[in-house]
Amino acid sequence: MAKAAALRKPKKKVNPLDKDGITYIDYKDTALLRKFISDRGKIRARRVTGVTSQQQRQIARAVKNAREMALLPYTATAR
Amino acid sequence: MRHYELMVILDPSLEERTVAPSLDTYLNNVIRSSGGSVEKLDVWGRRRLSFEINKKAEGIYAVVDLQATPEAVAELDRQLRLNESILRTKVIRPETR
Repeated sequence: MAKAAALRKPKKKVNPLDKDGITYIDYKDTALLRKFISDRGKIRARRVTGVTSQQQRQIARAVKNAREMALLPYTATAR
Repeated sequence: MRHYELMVILDPSLEERTVAPSLDTYLNNVIRSSGGSVEKLDVWGRRRLSFEINKKAEGIYAVVDLQATPEAVAELDRQLRLNESILRTKVIRPETR
């Protein structure tokens, strides 16, 4: 009992992409990509986003492409 | 023949309505003359850049969907980069992921 109390129960995450039925991550869709970056402009970790590793790679690539085209910031000063 | 998607950022001091015709001449010269086809030419218009490019805070975005040979696309990209009023270009093959 004491052991169970010490371990925090991990909350099951819902995959935000599967939930919305998104199969292709487009670098032009900045509204979607903004969900996966922090307010400083950093790409959020997979343990935060709750997507599969394949999807995380696609997100990372899309964010980097979007940055090259100035659609997303490389850095944003803390608000 | 492959499907490509080309995005260009143009100088914001250009007239927005001249963008589509001037891009079209490039597409005619390089893509259509080499047997490719342009599926869609979409001018997004003026948009704020996330950071300055060549001291400019805004840019005119345009996205082109096209079918062409790899050589034709490489040549189109090269010619666009030579144009001083084009701030940036990006060619992507959307299927390869």
